[in-house]
Amino acid sequence: MRSQNKGQIRIIEAFLAVLVIFSSFTIFSNLTVTRSVEKSGDLASIGLQALMKLDSNGNLGKFIDSKNWTALRDALDIVLPPSVCFNLTAYDETMNQVNDYAISNGALNSQEVAFVEYVCASQGVVFHCYIIYLHLAVAK
Amino acid sequence: MPAISIDTFFACSLMVLLVLSAMATTSKLLYPQINNAIDEALSERYREISKYLLLNEGSPSNWGQNGQIIPENFGLAKADSENPYELDIDKVSRLNSENIYAISYAKIFTALKLSDVSFRMEIKPVFDVIINLTATFVKANDATYQFEISTKKSGIPIQTKLKCYVIAENYLEASPFHTSNGENNVNITIPNDVNGPAILVALAKAVCDSRIMSYGVYAFAHNSINPKPKSTFLKLSPLNYTLTTSFVYPEMNLSKAYALNINYYSLLEQISNGNQSLTYNLPNFVDPSPTIIVVTGCNSTNFFAEWTVYPHIPLKIGANFAGLDALSNVFTYNYIVSINSAIYECTIWLGGPKQ
Repeated sequence: MRSQNKGQIRIIEAFLAVLVIFSSFTIFSNLTVTRSVEKSGDLASIGLQALMKLDSNGNLGKFIDSKNWTALRDALDIVLPPSVCFNLTAYDETMNQVNDYAISNGALNSQEVAFVEYVCASQGVVFHCYIIYLHLAVAK
Repeated sequence: MPAISIDTFFACSLMVLLVLSAMATTSKLLYPQINNAIDEALSERYREISKYLLLNEGSPSNWGQNGQIIPENFGLAKADSENPYELDIDKVSRLNSENIYAISYAKIFTALKLSDVSFRMEIKPVFDVIINLTATFVKANDATYQFEISTKKSGIPIQTKLKCYVIAENYLEASPFHTSNGENNVNITIPNDVNGPAILVALAKAVCDSRIMSYGVYAFAHNSINPKPKSTFLKLSPLNYTLTTSFVYPEMNLSKAYALNINYYSLLEQISNGNQSLTYNLPNFVDPSPTIIVVTGCNSTNFFAEWTVYPHIPLKIGANFAGLDALSNVFTYNYIVSINSAIYECTIWLGGPKQ
C-alpha cells in the first residue's frame, strides 16, 4: 500500500515544484519595474535644463515674484518636448507654497514620474529665494 | 504494468516538461534583462558623449571663427561661457552644409576620436513659423498680399509677437509688431512701381519669454516671374560676423544687402570685392534673435533676392540611422541650448554596432 502511494507523492512533488518555480518567475518578472524608474533620469535632465535656461536671465524668479503663473506655464510648455507633462510647485524660504493654483499642462498619468528640485533667486530689489519642485512624466 | 510505474512515469515526464519549460522561460526572461543591463551602460556612455559635445568648447577653442581651422577636438560650447549648454554661434554655423566654411562629418568624426560611435545632430528653433499666401488683390497703384502666419510647436499654437519685413528691388518695409495667438493674418501692400520677386520675413518671439524665437521666410512674385529656389544665384555663408556671398553664375551685380533682427535692421557694409565673391560686415545686434540676411542683385536682367540666417540654423548633420535599428544601438538625447542668448532645441542621436 505504501509503495503504491509512492508514485502519487511524486506527482504532488512535481506540482509543488511547478508552484515554486512559477512563483519565483512571478517575483522575478516584477523586478523589471526597477529598470523603467532609471529612465526617468532623462526627463529629470531635460526638466532641469528647462529651469536653468528660464533662470539664466532671471525670468524664472521674475515670473514667481510677479505671480505670473500663466507665463511660467507657457514658457515651460514651449521649452519642454511636446510629449512631456509637468506639474510645478514653488515654495518660499520657509517652504510655504507660493503658487495659488496648479502650474501644470495635464495630469501626470504615468508610472514613470521624474522629479527636479531647483533653487532660484529673484533679481528684484528685494531678495527672494524660491525652491521649485518640478514633476515630469511622458504623456500617454 | 503496476500502477506505481505509471505514476512514476507520469511524474518523471511532468518533471522533464517542467525543467524544459523552466529553461525556456528563464532564458526568455533573462535575455531582455541582460540586454537592458548592457543598454543602460551604453545609454549612460552615450549620454555623457552627447553632453561632452555641447559642454566642451573643443580645441582650438576658436575653431568656429576661422573657416580654415579644422578642430583637433570637437566641441560646440562657447568659450568662457558662464552658462551651461550655451553654444558658439560660429561653431554651430559651421555644421550647416549650406555654409561654404562647413566642416564635414568625416572631419568631426576624426576630431571626436571615438571610432565606435556615430552621431547625428539637429538644432532648430523651439517652434515653427509657417507662412502661407492666402489671397492677392491687385489695384491700379499697388498690390496687397494676404498672408496667414502661424506660430506652432508640434501643431499647438504659440502666443507670440510677430515682426514682418518685406524686401523687393530697392524696397524695404518693416511692419509694426503684431500679437498672435498662433494664427495671424497679415496684409502686405507693395507699390506697383517696385519690382520683385519679393521676400517676406516674419520673426516671432514668444510672449512669455522673448528669448524663445523663431522665423519664417516666404518668397513670392510681385511684378515679376515666380521666385527661383534658394541659393540659385548666390551662396551666402555667415561666419564670425562676416558674410561671404559666392556667385553661382558670373556676371552678376549685387545691389543692397540687409540684416534683419526682431527689433532692428541695417544695411550691410561691403568690406571686400573678390572675383566671384563679396564680403560684408554683419552687425552684432544685442537682442537675443537670429539675424536674417537678405542680399539683392541682378542676374543679366532679372532681379533676385537671396537670404540666409545667422546662426545658420536649422541644421542637420551626421550619420543617417534610418532603418539601422537592427544593426546598431541608437539612443536619442534632447537638450535645450542657447546661442547668442536665444533658445533652441538640440537633438543628438548616438549609435554604434550592436553588442
